[in-house]
Amino acid sequence: MHLIDIYIQEVTRRLPEKNQDIALELRSTIEDMLPENYTELDVKEILTKLGNPVTLASGYLDRPMHLIGPIYFDAYVTLLKMILPIMTVIVLVIVSIENILSFKGNEAIIDILLDIMGEGIWGVINAAIQTFFWITLVFAVLERTDISKESVSLNTGFKKWTPDDLKEIPVISKKRKISNVEIFGSIVMIAIFTVVYFNAVHLVGVYENVQGELQFVTPFFNQEVLQSYWFIVVLAIVVEMFLVFYKFMGGQWTKKVAILNLIRNIVSTIVCIIIFTNSHLINENFITYFEELFNITMDIKGPFMVGIILLFVVFAVIDVIQGFRKAYTKG
Amino acid sequence: MSNLLNSFITELRRGTLTLAVLSQLRVPQYGYSLVQILEKSNIVIDQSTLYPLLRRLEKQDLVVSSWDTTESRPRKYYVLSEYGKEILEQLMKEWEKTSRELYILLKGEEGDAPN
Repeated sequence: MHLIDIYIQEVTRRLPEKNQDIALELRSTIEDMLPENYTELDVKEILTKLGNPVTLASGYLDRPMHLIGPIYFDAYVTLLKMILPIMTVIVLVIVSIENILSFKGNEAIIDILLDIMGEGIWGVINAAIQTFFWITLVFAVLERTDISKESVSLNTGFKKWTPDDLKEIPVISKKRKISNVEIFGSIVMIAIFTVVYFNAVHLVGVYENVQGELQFVTPFFNQEVLQSYWFIVVLAIVVEMFLVFYKFMGGQWTKKVAILNLIRNIVSTIVCIIIFTNSHLINENFITYFEELFNITMDIKGPFMVGIILLFVVFAVIDVIQGFRKAYTKG
Repeated sequence: MSNLLNSFITELRRGTLTLAVLSQLRVPQYGYSLVQILEKSNIVIDQSTLYPLLRRLEKQDLVVSSWDTTESRPRKYYVLSEYGKEILEQLMKEWEKTSRELYILLKGEEGDAPN
């Protein structure tokens, strides 16, 4: 008797409150199955036939026994894949900007970079968990509240699939594909460049090992000169960001992307030339330091700057050509 | 191998279960009596499937239930509703049609089809 009570309780406690009727019917059924003067062995045999109370209870419930079913699963995964990278980028950008703005000017370069990295990783993990949780919650609720119960998989727009959906999908060839890693790399590079450029006075320069500690001796650039070009630098960064965004949305190299890439390279090259032709760009202290170190007197500014500009132009040209080659790749 | 075969057989039978149950409910039956009838016809049904199925059929208005308290033990009886009878008729026709078609398909020649 005892086992039967527990069994019925195990079933009914998984059901909504009002299902007393199921308990009564279950008891009547079990008693029907038992022989007269039954033993515990008989009871066990009957309960084995009825099976796990969890399974039986789930049979009575119309509620799904899964978090997200086949109808929503594809839309769920697609949304996650779309939103998680975007969240990552936003968090990294916010963390970088916060660190730049709170920069007092007396911290060491390594500390700043470690801060950005640490906070960035922590922030990304946090944001990823939050995003994952909320999207999953929304879909789990959808799964349980949608009464229409379409039996077919829904697309991301939550509509039934029609052949017209195919027209909206760009045909991406493998050779022209722009990988998300490339996009991500570009964004990280832009963020690092921005941080370094506007803090070059603390970051780029000569470091010396003084009593086992790395000390910043003299900056390489004249920060006032760098700051005076802030507008065109920001403009170049905006152009870069726009290209990255355009590449991300398109997903592949096209003639348009290649032309945008050309424009971006022209803009950044012009900015580079403007900055590096300024004769006050390099810090006088650095030149003095350099000359003392090697015990020579020479004008390093001229050749150095020409070298940088040439290098920049060469890389820009290679990048532009590669862009067009990818855009015109067949297949 | 035999696991795979078993899962196919289970799947095949699952579809016919509702029809088998409905066909026996022209006269009132209670849970266990239905199990016994089905077992006599060699139709194996998981009991953890059958009882919830009866409830679902009732919810869908195919069967009606009533408690009989006149005997020593109260029992819940299920019997086809008018709507349930209609559905059963159509399901039976559909079943005959499907099995005939499948039989022809499997044998590969029309002449051997049963009537």
